[in-house]
Amino acid sequence: MRAVWATYTRELRAYFFSPLAYVVLFFFLIVNGFIFVNLIGNLINPQVMARDPALSYFFHTSWILMLLLVPVLTMRLLSEELRSGSIEILMTAPISEAQVVAGKYLAALTFYAFLWLPTVVYALMIARHSEVDWGPVAAGYLGILGIGALFLAVGTFASAMTRSQLVAAIVAVALVFLFFLLGLFQEQIDNEGLKQALGYVDLFGHIDEFSRGIVDTRRLAYYGTGVLFFLFLATRALEDKKWR
Amino acid sequence: MIEAQNLTRRYGDFTAVQDVSFSLAAGEIVGMLGPNGAGKTTTLRMITGFLPPTSGRVTVAGKDLLDAPHAARRQLGYLPEKVALYNEMRVEEYLAYRARLEGLGRAEAREGIENAIERCLLVDVRRQIIGTLSKGFQQRVGLATAILHQPSVLVLDEPTVGLDPKQIIAIRELIRELGRERTLLLSTHILPEVELLCNRVMIIDRGRIVAEGTPESLRETQVGNPAVRILLKDAPAGAGEALGAVPGVISARAGATDGAWIVEHQKGTDLREAIFHEAVERGWVLLEMIRERASLEDIFVRLTTHDAAAGAAGSGAETPAPLETPETPAGPAEEEAS
Repeated sequence: MRAVWATYTRELRAYFFSPLAYVVLFFFLIVNGFIFVNLIGNLINPQVMARDPALSYFFHTSWILMLLLVPVLTMRLLSEELRSGSIEILMTAPISEAQVVAGKYLAALTFYAFLWLPTVVYALMIARHSEVDWGPVAAGYLGILGIGALFLAVGTFASAMTRSQLVAAIVAVALVFLFFLLGLFQEQIDNEGLKQALGYVDLFGHIDEFSRGIVDTRRLAYYGTGVLFFLFLATRALEDKKWR
Repeated sequence: MIEAQNLTRRYGDFTAVQDVSFSLAAGEIVGMLGPNGAGKTTTLRMITGFLPPTSGRVTVAGKDLLDAPHAARRQLGYLPEKVALYNEMRVEEYLAYRARLEGLGRAEAREGIENAIERCLLVDVRRQIIGTLSKGFQQRVGLATAILHQPSVLVLDEPTVGLDPKQIIAIRELIRELGRERTLLLSTHILPEVELLCNRVMIIDRGRIVAEGTPESLRETQVGNPAVRILLKDAPAGAGEALGAVPGVISARAGATDGAWIVEHQKGTDLREAIFHEAVERGWVLLEMIRERASLEDIFVRLTTHDAAAGAAGSGAETPAPLETPETPAGPAEEEAS
């Protein structure tokens, strides 16, 4: 546990000391700002019927940013250690591959949560002028966190496979997109069983549910197992490096 | 303290290290010598647990590296060939992070960090960002990392490579200092370094240990007969025959200049005294007497140079350029005045 904590704190510092994090944060907030302005425009337009919770449009749109955001956050995690060779000093300390992966992943997850934190201000701003149902807002953030956690695990795995950050980012984008598209395939499929299966993993559908305040534990279980699976793969990828 | 049994490591079809066994007693400083690509780094990586051996076992301070990897690694400090640190951290912060990684308690960590900073002469740069330090200082930070948790065994892979002469001297001084209370295994291809630092040498070539022993015993066993080089004033006549007749002398050859002789004698004898008496008896004026000793360099070259036939019989196509191995070390051979 101590070793995980040491890795976690070191990695989190590395995020806050790198310019990359601030660039990501900057653009993330700019794009979210636009989305929010758009949302306000919709909310005050009397022609638009406000059926959904106030912030559901925001969650709907801005979670797509994750597809690019997450690979950028995770590409450095292990690739940089492999490239610079610092992995050698790291892995000769009394720490296991799984502990390294866990520490780094948790740091990425923390930074990811930190990125979303400022957007809570949007909800507070709306709350000043109108009524906000906080249930769906909390559920929306839970969905953002869950899907983000899954994607971050995918990105960590991609980073464990290669010493090139660029390759890690590209692989992560490809895998994350695949997850994203999985749900969209269901329109094209006739097989009823398969269609239903794809419905379960339809992330678009998930975020829609969450933003309406529906917390389905099956979704959370899906993210949880996905996270464990990809972190397991990342650990394996790291262990495998020893045998080459 | 280190016990390596039949270590073998293959990368695909290539065998980097083959059936290497050795052991280090507590307090020993052992040098691993070998040309580039001989398998030194691979061997050290197996000893530190970074690479698992294809077959064979390693125990460090009685702990098996495969059965109890964490316990074994705690006993071990390692300076890899390529010291890669986290460049964005300050020296102190980095050491604190390493202390946490090693699982040191708060007091233990503070003591370890202070000790390492002091020993590795990092006091002036303790607040500096690692990325801004020179290579020599980064190497010292690497060493500080290796001794932070007070390991009983230190493994250093080419500790002085890429440093300027001044830094090399400082690092060597530090290594010697560290070797006083620890078991130390270091690899290098710099020969004088081994003579300076180590009390035992392993010469490794093509993944095998080809010779082992103290620098002295390697000289004895690996090189031809010892010789004494003398210079006599005015080149007295008949000196050759007279020198050849001294008991124990194998041959006396004339040197490059007038009056210079190279007296080859049997192993295990020291003829300097006899030669001196001979000179006094005959009234020669002895201007110089130097014991010619084969340097480790000669031994090294001899053991790691393969002629074409041996190369073909060995590991296949690549044959290193054959180097000349002089019969008696003449020009560049290391000489020791006595």
